[in-house]
Amino acid sequence: MGIEQDPSKHTPSHTRFQRGSSSIRRPHRRAAESSATPSGGVSYVSTPSMVGPEEYDYDPIDTDFYLLAKSYFDCREYRRAAHVLRDQTGKKAVFLRCYALYLAGEKRKEEEMIELEGPLGKSDALNRELVSLERELSTLRKNGTIDPFGLYIYGLVLKEKGNENLARSVLVESVNIYPWNWSAWSELQALCTTIEALNSLNINNHWMKDFFLASAYQELRMHNESLAKYEYLQGTFTFSNYIQAQIAKAQYNLREFEQVEVIFEELLRNDPYRIEDMDMYSNVLYAKECFSALSYLAHRVFLTDKYRPESCCIVGNYYSLKGQHEKSVMYFRRALKLNKNYLSAWTLMGHEYVEMKNTSAAVDAYRRAVDINPCDYRAWYGLGQAYEMMGMPFYALHYFKKSVFLQPNDSRLWIAMAQCFETEQLHMLEEAIKCYKRAVNCNDREAIALHQLAKLHCELGQTEEAAFYYKKDLERMEAEEREGPNMVEALMFLAQHCKTQKKFDEAEVYCTRLLDYTGPEKETAKSLLRGIRYARDVVEHFPP
Amino acid sequence: MAAISKPPASFAITPHKLSICVLVQVYAPPSQISIPFPFSSVSHHNRLGVFLLSLTKACDGIFEPTLDELIAQLREVAGLLNHWLSDHLTRRLSSLASPDDLFNFGILGGSDANVMDDDQIMLDPNSIIGMFIRRCLLAFNQMSFEGICHLLTNIGTYCKESISGYPPYELSHLDDSTNDPNPSFEFENMEMDNFVYENVSEDFEESKMGIGRSPSQGHAPKDFPELVEDTSISPRPTLEHNDMNAEVYPGALSSSDMSKDMGALGGTFLYTSWQVQGYLSEQAVAIEKHGSSFPLNAFESILKKLQQLAPELHRVHYLRYLNSLYHDDYPGALENLHRYFDYSAGTEGVECVSPPSGCSSFGRYEIALLCLGMMHFHLGHPKQALEVLTEAVRVSQQYSDDTCLAYTLAAISNLLAEIGVSKTSGIIGSSCWPVAGIGTSLSVQQQLFVLLRRSLKRAESLKLKRLVASIHLEIAKYDIMHVQRPLLSFGPKASMKLRTHPASVYKELWSSSHLINEFGEESSLMTTDGAFCTAWLRSLKKPTASLIFAQENDTESCSDAFEFIAQPSSIPGSVLQLLGSSYLVRASSWEMYGSAPLARINALVFATCFADSSSLSDAALAYSKLIQHLAVYKGYKDAFAAMRIAEKKFMCVSRSRILLVKLQVLHECALHRGHLKLAQQFCDELGVLASCVSGVDMELKTEASLRHARTLLSANQYSQAAAVAHSLFCTCYKFNLQVKNATVLLLLAEIYKRSGNAVLGIPYALACISFCQSFNLDLLKASATLTLAELWLSLGSNHAKKALALLHSSFPVLLGHGGLELRSRAFITEAKCYLADPSFSVSDSPEMVLEPLRQASEELQLLEYNELAAEAFYLMAIVYNKLGQLDEREEAASSFRKHITAFENPEDMDDSVYGML
Repeated sequence: MGIEQDPSKHTPSHTRFQRGSSSIRRPHRRAAESSATPSGGVSYVSTPSMVGPEEYDYDPIDTDFYLLAKSYFDCREYRRAAHVLRDQTGKKAVFLRCYALYLAGEKRKEEEMIELEGPLGKSDALNRELVSLERELSTLRKNGTIDPFGLYIYGLVLKEKGNENLARSVLVESVNIYPWNWSAWSELQALCTTIEALNSLNINNHWMKDFFLASAYQELRMHNESLAKYEYLQGTFTFSNYIQAQIAKAQYNLREFEQVEVIFEELLRNDPYRIEDMDMYSNVLYAKECFSALSYLAHRVFLTDKYRPESCCIVGNYYSLKGQHEKSVMYFRRALKLNKNYLSAWTLMGHEYVEMKNTSAAVDAYRRAVDINPCDYRAWYGLGQAYEMMGMPFYALHYFKKSVFLQPNDSRLWIAMAQCFETEQLHMLEEAIKCYKRAVNCNDREAIALHQLAKLHCELGQTEEAAFYYKKDLERMEAEEREGPNMVEALMFLAQHCKTQKKFDEAEVYCTRLLDYTGPEKETAKSLLRGIRYARDVVEHFPP
Repeated sequence: MAAISKPPASFAITPHKLSICVLVQVYAPPSQISIPFPFSSVSHHNRLGVFLLSLTKACDGIFEPTLDELIAQLREVAGLLNHWLSDHLTRRLSSLASPDDLFNFGILGGSDANVMDDDQIMLDPNSIIGMFIRRCLLAFNQMSFEGICHLLTNIGTYCKESISGYPPYELSHLDDSTNDPNPSFEFENMEMDNFVYENVSEDFEESKMGIGRSPSQGHAPKDFPELVEDTSISPRPTLEHNDMNAEVYPGALSSSDMSKDMGALGGTFLYTSWQVQGYLSEQAVAIEKHGSSFPLNAFESILKKLQQLAPELHRVHYLRYLNSLYHDDYPGALENLHRYFDYSAGTEGVECVSPPSGCSSFGRYEIALLCLGMMHFHLGHPKQALEVLTEAVRVSQQYSDDTCLAYTLAAISNLLAEIGVSKTSGIIGSSCWPVAGIGTSLSVQQQLFVLLRRSLKRAESLKLKRLVASIHLEIAKYDIMHVQRPLLSFGPKASMKLRTHPASVYKELWSSSHLINEFGEESSLMTTDGAFCTAWLRSLKKPTASLIFAQENDTESCSDAFEFIAQPSSIPGSVLQLLGSSYLVRASSWEMYGSAPLARINALVFATCFADSSSLSDAALAYSKLIQHLAVYKGYKDAFAAMRIAEKKFMCVSRSRILLVKLQVLHECALHRGHLKLAQQFCDELGVLASCVSGVDMELKTEASLRHARTLLSANQYSQAAAVAHSLFCTCYKFNLQVKNATVLLLLAEIYKRSGNAVLGIPYALACISFCQSFNLDLLKASATLTLAELWLSLGSNHAKKALALLHSSFPVLLGHGGLELRSRAFITEAKCYLADPSFSVSDSPEMVLEPLRQASEELQLLEYNELAAEAFYLMAIVYNKLGQLDEREEAASSFRKHITAFENPEDMDDSVYGML
């Protein structure tokens, strides 16, 4: 299947054209294919009748120059490539020249970033080719002699220059003419940070649009919509690793870890040298504490390519699971060195620092994560946690509020916030109760919330509510067949409560259940039973 | 941050620094002549020296000047030499074409690291300029080849800009005009920002002109965020210290289209971090001083640029926090505050960029709490503020940060004093409350009292002089407003002797102003110097920029006096501010104790000497005091004239303070003119200004209902007035406002007097007098005595003698300190006493009666108090009638008629005054 290769490339855009043959030729082949692809009764617009890229490069001299430039390009000698093509006017040549210039500028920018970095982290190195590229491409666009790839470059340049609106429309133009350029789609997606922006795009109906939308939904944290889209696409592209990985991602965000694990296992069977998204798999393995599986994954990934941020992250996770936090931090740092804006590494490093009780470093790491992406609820949560550790619960509340705002359906966040309210320093029990209630509504897996709710109500002297929640907790524990001190506590309270409420039958039931346990509770239950019998006698003999 | 630590590159060379080097070479050539070649005189020579010195230290912005600007400044300095110098400069700079030229470039040349060759320049290597040169040398010698290449390109840009002037790339910007609101990394936006910047930079400059005059970081005594900075960068960076970490930001770009303000497009360079820091703290002071009149967006865009250029300079977040705080942007302030402290861990100062893992310390997050508390306080969330500050106390105790604890305690007491006696017992009663040891039975004031003493002791032991001074002030304020009773004797047996202690107030004030003697060792070398240099440089710009400043109004005119104020040895602004507010406290204490002239003098002292260095809201307070004084002693015309001036001066700042006094004066005025509907309206508006939270803004609330009662009284609705006064009395009692209660008692006496129940009124008057006696409220006591006299008099003519005796006993205070109304009332009562006295005959000594009446009528006319004026003229007419002086009688009678008609038809009066609303 041709499609799976292109979208699945998640590598930075400028490496795309270096790997193997240029995708300029490939899409054409696919274009022919794709007319046959959507068979499942999907009403896609037919493939745009755009001329194939080969059609406009007939000039033999042009082709020679082009081939020379392409070879230079493949050897990463971008300026040389651009120089060879300086007088060429073929669309393909123009594109290659612009792209080579752009990449040359990017390369220089990266170098300068290191050369010029000061202690205050100045990073205003710029791609110097942008200005001239923009000028040239805008004239080309005005003259109408620009092809979709040129438009893509133009959009890229505009985006870098910060002219987002124009960039968006240029990229839309590009993908409308030639929908199979995933790079253009992903640039476009980076420009759609809100659902409104996404909806306002005027994109022709095409199956690539579905890929785009699914991915955009994922970025916008509309996980269910994204999952639905991907599942729909999977119907058509049954064997796509890319779609499978994306489904795993969506499931991961919905915290369906079991399914994620299954998917990744299958994915690794089909695509054993895959590194992309594997950090997520490692997170799942971490959460499930699968030591050996995680170490196996780390090993495999490291053999494939150790200098990928994902690989470092996986190793970091492994060490973290082993409790070797210093080492783990070291690998996260390496990941960050490879990609300074690698969000999850910042967050995970924050977690490590929290484990190491180095709260200020943790705060710093989390804050950087948050500044990269203000929607990262984990980092906000981590910030709150760090401040709570320092004994500043009121200050921590601000962060918990943020994280809860971003992820209102996660019971753990609500519980953390409730515990913050519950601390002896704040002792704001009413608020804590509200939070626990939200947690209960969010399907609290660890079942902390119900128990705490009961306890808090009990503490506030609201016995009716307390009894209600104890009962619910009891039901739940029965359903999940859990035992433990909570069970005893619930039974004890309920027995006493029912007795004072004169519901002797019910109280008796609870007491007899208590008798199953050893310890002081058993004795109390016995005396309670005696009391109940006595009270019942009194009621019978002297009816009110 | 620990994760990505890089070797701190020290002081780097920029084209601007290179030009300074060139100029230094001119300034100090190796020749032995006392006045080297191009200079004509010693002073001429020195002027360039001062200029160079200033260039190395000025903190007037974040970017180094371009060559054009430098040449423009040179023109001001060098006079005739200007052409020679600028030619020399540009020639030297543009002669650099290859990296090798840099190695052969005058001072920088020579392979010897950081040694100044004597044959190149003649300069003391330890002088400031010498040090600068040495730093340049060192930086150059440490430079990598890439760095030298960059420097070369930058020099090219630097020179080209000044020659070619304008953009070759205009085309590219034409179609970029869409402005995206997204504030991320966008060049387009940057351009827009520049636009904004250009537009607003004028008024920004203008405001900066005002700011530059305060040569140090002033801290408002109330504004602790600033005070905290003292602690957070407590090791004052000395010069040597700064040498180590000064840093420059060479821009990278070849694109020459943007000149000065295109930070991100290169060609411009940040100042050394020392200079940027100086700039930022100057701006912080300015924000606090100017409050909401500070240009929000202009400064925000500068900060944004700065943040892009120096993402690790976390101070920027703090400035953003201050900026949004003073513009009442709650979410923005909150967000930036949290961000600042997350990054800096409370330990900032750029001095500490070393990764926190290096210093194992915990970080000082309690300062974050303190700031957050102050923020909530500032934005009017006392409850949250208290909660946060309590946490701050706990955390700083936990980590034994005594300094922060001292500041926090002071902040809490400030908070308690401001929100006064709110029903905070819910919070205060909680176990973690810092004064829990005393138990919760204490009233809030007593807690405040204990807290103040505690924090004073702590501050003294920590030698935080400013804090000590401001706590002394706070205690003085407390002593004025609150009645003390022995702390430990409660219950029915304890003697309920309530007293105020003016002596202790003045003792506190004295110990507060004592600070001025001690500021010497604390004065901050850094900013003083920087500000001086900034001011000096700015004075150069002035002639060329005079068009902009021409329309500055006279209030700002003293900015010309920068030379006077920017003396390097001048007193730190924070100390000046503290001193200033001590004068304000003095003024209000005298107001209270009843000495009008002294109150006025103190307010005047403040307005003339400290208004420049203090925050605008304090200045507004002083002005409002003066306006009130005018209204009471000089009549409303003057007061309104003064008010117009004040309103213009405090256009948008501290509106509420001026608004308050305006409403007060208008209410009085309407009341006197008999315009009761309007009076009621003003009174209601006054009440609306108070916060709706119970227990907050008690001052204002009691004032509003007091005025309400007075309005009702004027409308002869006695029972309603009495009801309002009674409930007011209860409120005051509940919130322990004893001093206010004295006033309420007097009002009640007045009500009974007016309603004809003199017998009922007398006890109230007597109670008021005894209150006043123990609280030292002399003026109030005098006016209570006056009321008592009136009450006696209304009981019948046989009490006239007694009334007169009472009246005469308090005459000195009444006439010496009383306002127009009080004086004339006293005069009229005196006349009435004489007239009522059966043993007194008018024909024997007519002047005894006529003189006071004449006085009274004159003053009342000034005050436009028609009702009372009518009474005075009525009495006069009667006396003249008795004496048989018919002409005078007619005159008095017609005056009487004029006033009585004016009183009955208040609408006829000119409404110009009310147009002020």
